[in-house]
Amino acid sequence: MRDFVVVGLSHRTAPVEVRERLAVAPERLEDELKEISARGSFDEALLISTCNRVELYATSANPAEAVRSARHTLGSRLPDDASEDVLYTERGVAVVRHAFRVASSLDSMVVGEPQILGQVKEAYDAARSAGTAGPLLGRCFSQAFSTAKRIRNETGIAQGTVSVSSIACELAKKIFGNLDGRRTLLLGAGDMGETAARSLRQTGTQLHVINRSEERAEKLASSCGGRPVPYERLTTELAEADVVIASTASSKFILTPELMKGVVRSRRHRPLFIIDIAVPRDVDPRVGTMDNVFVYDVDDLQQVAEENLAVRAREANQAERIIEEEVASFLTWRRSLELAPTIVALRKQFGDVADEELRRALSRLQNLNPSDRAVLEAMARSLVNKLLHQPMIQLKAGAAEADGAQLIDTVRRLFAITDDDSGGTETSIEAGDEANVTQLTAAAASGPTGESK
Amino acid sequence: MSYCQRPPVPDYRPKPVHGRLFSGLSHARGGPVKTMKSGLFIATATLYGIACILYLTLLTRRSDSMRRLPGLVFVSALGAHLAFLMLESPPPGDIPLADISQILSISSLGIGIAFLLASYRFDVTVLGAFMVPVALMLFLASGLGSSYAPVSPPVEDAVLTLHIGANILGLVAFALAFGAGVAYVLQERLLRRRQLSGLFQRLPSLDVLDTIGLRAVLTGFPLLTFGMVTGTFWLLRTDGSEFYVSQLLGLLAWAIFAAVIVLRVAAGWQGRKAALGTIMGFVCTLLVLAGYVVRAAGGSA
Repeated sequence: MRDFVVVGLSHRTAPVEVRERLAVAPERLEDELKEISARGSFDEALLISTCNRVELYATSANPAEAVRSARHTLGSRLPDDASEDVLYTERGVAVVRHAFRVASSLDSMVVGEPQILGQVKEAYDAARSAGTAGPLLGRCFSQAFSTAKRIRNETGIAQGTVSVSSIACELAKKIFGNLDGRRTLLLGAGDMGETAARSLRQTGTQLHVINRSEERAEKLASSCGGRPVPYERLTTELAEADVVIASTASSKFILTPELMKGVVRSRRHRPLFIIDIAVPRDVDPRVGTMDNVFVYDVDDLQQVAEENLAVRAREANQAERIIEEEVASFLTWRRSLELAPTIVALRKQFGDVADEELRRALSRLQNLNPSDRAVLEAMARSLVNKLLHQPMIQLKAGAAEADGAQLIDTVRRLFAITDDDSGGTETSIEAGDEANVTQLTAAAASGPTGESK
Repeated sequence: MSYCQRPPVPDYRPKPVHGRLFSGLSHARGGPVKTMKSGLFIATATLYGIACILYLTLLTRRSDSMRRLPGLVFVSALGAHLAFLMLESPPPGDIPLADISQILSISSLGIGIAFLLASYRFDVTVLGAFMVPVALMLFLASGLGSSYAPVSPPVEDAVLTLHIGANILGLVAFALAFGAGVAYVLQERLLRRRQLSGLFQRLPSLDVLDTIGLRAVLTGFPLLTFGMVTGTFWLLRTDGSEFYVSQLLGLLAWAIFAAVIVLRVAAGWQGRKAALGTIMGFVCTLLVLAGYVVRAAGGSA
């Protein structure tokens, strides 16, 4: 019976020095996958590689062997001094749950960050073009994507940014609406100021850089795509800017109320957003009480970041509930791919048609004696059996092969068999279903013990 | 066990209400039309009420799952309102805007439409939380007027029709400015207090709110001015100085809006102060309207 396995390492288990040794560049993913699946005993394979995780997903008819092979593949690339303990292994339904959690950014270093979904999609595309993603991984990951989307829409997990410079950008957007064509003034040359200026520059603002040392201003300006401005022009620049990032090393306040009063007047009360990243601060707190001037310092931004993280942690609980729902729906689909219910449903469908036609024929042939009726009934049954004979043999044989799930899926689609047709009506199927669930979960639970054999 | 005998399905439909509350809705006609009108009135008011609550919850909700619902409810409220107005409208030949109740009702509809247009143009659905309550209030006031007499003397004067029409349009524009102003003041406060989750995320940017406020006031002000001029003209032609308080309030509203505009243009006076001025101006215009309502109610008593 085919099952899922995943072997990998992430920021939870391995330090960056180890992770970077295993990382695979996006353009190398396809070749790498081809190589891995040529060597390993996998039916399907998919490789996710980001700066925080490297994971090999696979399906195989022999999960224990697949786990061994996957651990070997990844383990052989570990640095010599790292033990294999950094690799974690999951099997069965736990793999599906893990994939859903990863795509939904619940397993990320910063919970709710949006990049991971794109990276997982890239990994899936690479696996598809490498031809290593089949129906099981295909279904698993497309449902992982829709789960991620659902979580994004139904919970607040992605709301609020959690890095200081993106919070600054978000605040600027809430003040100025569109940032296109607005002007940012970077005052001083602190590292954090530069990062914030860069993110603002990316949103489409012009960037002017002002510094006491003109040389430093020029260097900084060229490195982040801004324009250097001589320090004497400070007042004019303040009057023309929309966002000011202050990050000088000055020990005194540079933006004093006296200076800013003139500035506010000459900018005709247009709103001004000042981000004070310097420690000690560059902006007198009294400036923050002026009309149409909004001042945020490092502590404010940090606090926002922490609040947002706390909100995300709360929302994550709700997201986990959605994950469980989706995992359950995946299992339903997985079970529908089992052979027995499909055969029963197929037989029932054909039998129903035969019965119906027989009934109509008999109602028109009024004067038949009982033995004639028996002949007709036997013929109808035999027609169904004969017509289904070859397909059944092929189906049973094909289901045991590697792409068996796909075959069953195709048959189900061809004859429009839904879950209701195959489930619930007969007790034998129910029992079969139960057996499969336990198999999927038991495989997950047994985990490492399976490998040792 | 049999499911044949089902318990009787309870009747959830609202029972038609006859009572003092709606007795003034139609002055002359009675019977089935009247019942239908009260039914439509209740339906409209209920829909407005639900839309109100939905818009208010939209303000505080984190997820986007119900984004479209308030709009749908609100549009159906407008539809019901329109149907109600059609029933209410006087037979052809009579002049519309015949009484204060109708003026209130049409203003309410106008505010609804203005909100829809603005939310379409600027993507500011959340302003519904501030504007829909105003529309609901005016609509309810239009129905509560069991004792409103027609504006006396009956509006048959073109000047008076112009006066009322211009003032309704002005009121609608100021209502939009008011919604944007309230949102601006709230948003600015949240920004200063560093309360940046929830509501702050829902409200639009200060710039958008300021722009809406400015444009709406610039639209409403000429209408208000025209309304004031025609009103004065009409008063002079009839006899006089009857509506004393209302006129004073109207003048005050006009002065406030004039100041907002002049200071904005001349001194670049924008943001919170402009928003507060706009809110005050709108409250004054509402008070003018309230003055008329009180007068009309008192007039018939």
